[in-house]
Amino acid sequence: MSDDRIIRNHPFDPQRELALFEAGLSASGAVVSFTGIVRPGDSSDPVEALELQHHPRLTEPQIAQCAGGVRERFGLEAVLVRHRIGRMAPGDTIVLVAAASAHRREAFEGADALMDWLKTEAMFWKKEWRLSGPQWIEPRTDDYADARRWQEEIYARHQ
Amino acid sequence: MVRIVFFGRLSDASENLDTELPSGVENTEALAVWLAEGNERLAEAMARPGIRVIVNDEVRHGPASVADGDEIAFMSPVGGG
Repeated sequence: MSDDRIIRNHPFDPQRELALFEAGLSASGAVVSFTGIVRPGDSSDPVEALELQHHPRLTEPQIAQCAGGVRERFGLEAVLVRHRIGRMAPGDTIVLVAAASAHRREAFEGADALMDWLKTEAMFWKKEWRLSGPQWIEPRTDDYADARRWQEEIYARHQ
Repeated sequence: MVRIVFFGRLSDASENLDTELPSGVENTEALAVWLAEGNERLAEAMARPGIRVIVNDEVRHGPASVADGDEIAFMSPVGGG
């Protein structure tokens, strides 16, 4: 059974999600995927857990809308997004993004653009629990610069 | 009565609240000032750049009017992935 929910509050298997995504394609010759994993931190101050909040009503439709915009903009056959919320351990999958298109360039760019948007615009809040204590992780300057590469045409109407 | 919810760093500074709007508080900017009075942690978190405000599930840019029955969300900078 395929499960179309973008937001997941329990671990999901990125390989299985990707296999289901690929099985549903009929016109693509290229699939690019990205998997984000909880980092272990450094040995002097290891990460014990990562906690993700979301907006219970807005986050999922917001992502669906952006994914639709990316699909249109890059002429993709399909786009996949799976995103964890709740408490995760190092090594757990946080996010899976995939883009499928006739040829590789659009799939690479679509996946890249969607990740840049997720990093800076998707309604999630991350708290890292380290040995030394909790800390909120907000987007870095580089994340905003990455997102600006795609500006306006995709994001402006999807915020 | 309005419902006020906080996300991200702001949620560490205050619980979500159901409260009557004090007289004179008619927009989100005045509401933020009123909420931060007497809550130093919230004042500090609200003063950071990138706070977003949502009224009744709609993102608002700049001060937006608030009235009885509204839900107002104050959000720290967002980011997933």
